[in-house]
Amino acid sequence: MELLINLTINGLSTGMLIFLLASGLTLIFGLMHVLNFAHGGLFAWGAYAGVWFYSITSSFTVALIGAIIVGALLGFITERLIIRPVYGDVVPQILITLGFMLVISEMLKVVWGPNQIAATVPPALSGSWEIGDVLIIKYRLFIILMGFLVFGIFYYILKRTKIGLIVRAGVINNEMVQALGINIKRVFLLVFMTGAALAALGGALMAPYSGVIYAEMGMDFAILAFIVVVIGGMGSFPGSLFAAILVGLAGSYMAYYVPDLSLAVNMIIMVLVLIFRPQGLFAVKG
Amino acid sequence: MGKINLKSVYFWLIVLVFVLFPFVIDSRPMTILLTQIFIFAILAMSYDILLGYTGIVSFGHAMFFGFGAYATSVMLKNIDSSLTVFFLSIIVGMVIAGIVSFLIGLLTLRLQSHFFAMFTLAVSGLFLVLAEKWRSLTQGNDGFTFRAPEIFSDRINFYLFVLFCLVLVFLLLRLFVNSPFGKVLIAVKENETRTKALGYKTIYYKVVSSVVAGVAASLAGSLYVVSLRFVNTSMMAIDVTLNALLMTIIGGVGTLVGPIVGAAIIELAKHNLSILAKTYPIFERWIIFFGIIYILAVIFFPKGVVGTLKEKWEGRKMVRQQAMKQKEDAA
Repeated sequence: MELLINLTINGLSTGMLIFLLASGLTLIFGLMHVLNFAHGGLFAWGAYAGVWFYSITSSFTVALIGAIIVGALLGFITERLIIRPVYGDVVPQILITLGFMLVISEMLKVVWGPNQIAATVPPALSGSWEIGDVLIIKYRLFIILMGFLVFGIFYYILKRTKIGLIVRAGVINNEMVQALGINIKRVFLLVFMTGAALAALGGALMAPYSGVIYAEMGMDFAILAFIVVVIGGMGSFPGSLFAAILVGLAGSYMAYYVPDLSLAVNMIIMVLVLIFRPQGLFAVKG
Repeated sequence: MGKINLKSVYFWLIVLVFVLFPFVIDSRPMTILLTQIFIFAILAMSYDILLGYTGIVSFGHAMFFGFGAYATSVMLKNIDSSLTVFFLSIIVGMVIAGIVSFLIGLLTLRLQSHFFAMFTLAVSGLFLVLAEKWRSLTQGNDGFTFRAPEIFSDRINFYLFVLFCLVLVFLLLRLFVNSPFGKVLIAVKENETRTKALGYKTIYYKVVSSVVAGVAASLAGSLYVVSLRFVNTSMMAIDVTLNALLMTIIGGVGTLVGPIVGAAIIELAKHNLSILAKTYPIFERWIIFFGIIYILAVIFFPKGVVGTLKEKWEGRKMVRQQAMKQKEDAA
């Protein structure tokens, strides 16, 4: 039982980190059919920014807010400089975002050096609770709570506010929304910046969790996020949460019970989804 | 007719120059550099079959390169380092690459093009982790060295063999893209919906294209490890895919000569930048320069070096023809 709870917590916290990355990816894709291959780079920038802000202010709140701001700014630059010139052109879009990923990952090495950097858990969140026999690591619980908090806030915005309505309508048919007199490009910039900020927040939360950060971490996590987007359905916000938790839990259980299969499990889920439900589990009807 | 002959005369002349090159200029580093360029030219050409001729983006080319690399090095190490085993290992690598690219294509090529890019990236990422975890076979990131076939201990022999492979792959791929089948591929790239409407099963054409590209990339991997006599997981890392992408984009998509020129440009630039990096450390981050050039190329220069030159040349030819026609009309 104790083991099961711990594995679940591990899986959920990894899942939440992937969710923060995948949710932005899926909304950006849903709205503008842009698949942002540089998203992992934004995640890594968030991690570095978080660690840097924490090291100079030693306040974790400032670190998270700093990472979010850095992410949003980078999102602004990416959208304006990289995505806009090739807007609507699928192949150049895919090519150019991957190129940008390369550049920003290398920029990390220019700014902070090529070596790994250690990241520490803030004292308020370090340590663990003992409930009965079960040892719960505080920081992991914190990540899970943050994940659900972000999901709650964005779910509310998407379902209950005007801007949320526009975004959801845009996912279903963005030409129609434009025809109704809404500047969808401005909405897209906003969504893109939000997605980038979420990725950066994910990175900043990831840093103390893994203990070290390095420039290539973006790509490693981006691959998981892509798997999640395929499973959850491109454009679906709840789908990305569900699929991220699924991938996180599957990875965590498999790593313990059948370590040889832990790699293959994501792959198997993805292949099954592609065979039987290629539009994803939570496809958005358009 | 006369023009085609002239073209093939030029082609064989260039081949002849490269065949004679190591005998005229006896420089070991130069021979090795040229060998590298030829190997990456094969990889880049195979990539262009997908990107330039079929219009699909793959981010998993490193995986096929890796299949060839591991098939050859594992077999040369564990069986023996004879030429027969080497040829066999090339075939084994190609078969694995063929099967995997077939399955990936079947699964994702019927969907939007984003899926193929994403899925190949994910699958090649997973294969990379597999190569790192399966240490008994691959020895992970440390990799292992092995003996190459005896005959290749002479660098010039290996150079000639790789040149032969390059010419062979070039001719075969040219045959492939100029065949009626290749024409359908170009039609798929230009407008898939219309090609479908004309009654072609485009999925079949796209899958075959992805298999051809995968198999050719595997050959490049087999040759590459023999040139190094060493293999590790970096040969499956995303950098290999990025290399192929850079070479194809900068050289020129949609031509077979473009990737070869691109491979030469990138390899020479890397070689020179790594020398420069010794004095100016900023050049250690050469990926940034390449990345920026690449992004600018995608936006402003989408046809690459060869494509742009070809366009200029054909444009001039058209002008000349028109002028001739006008003169005839006047007369």
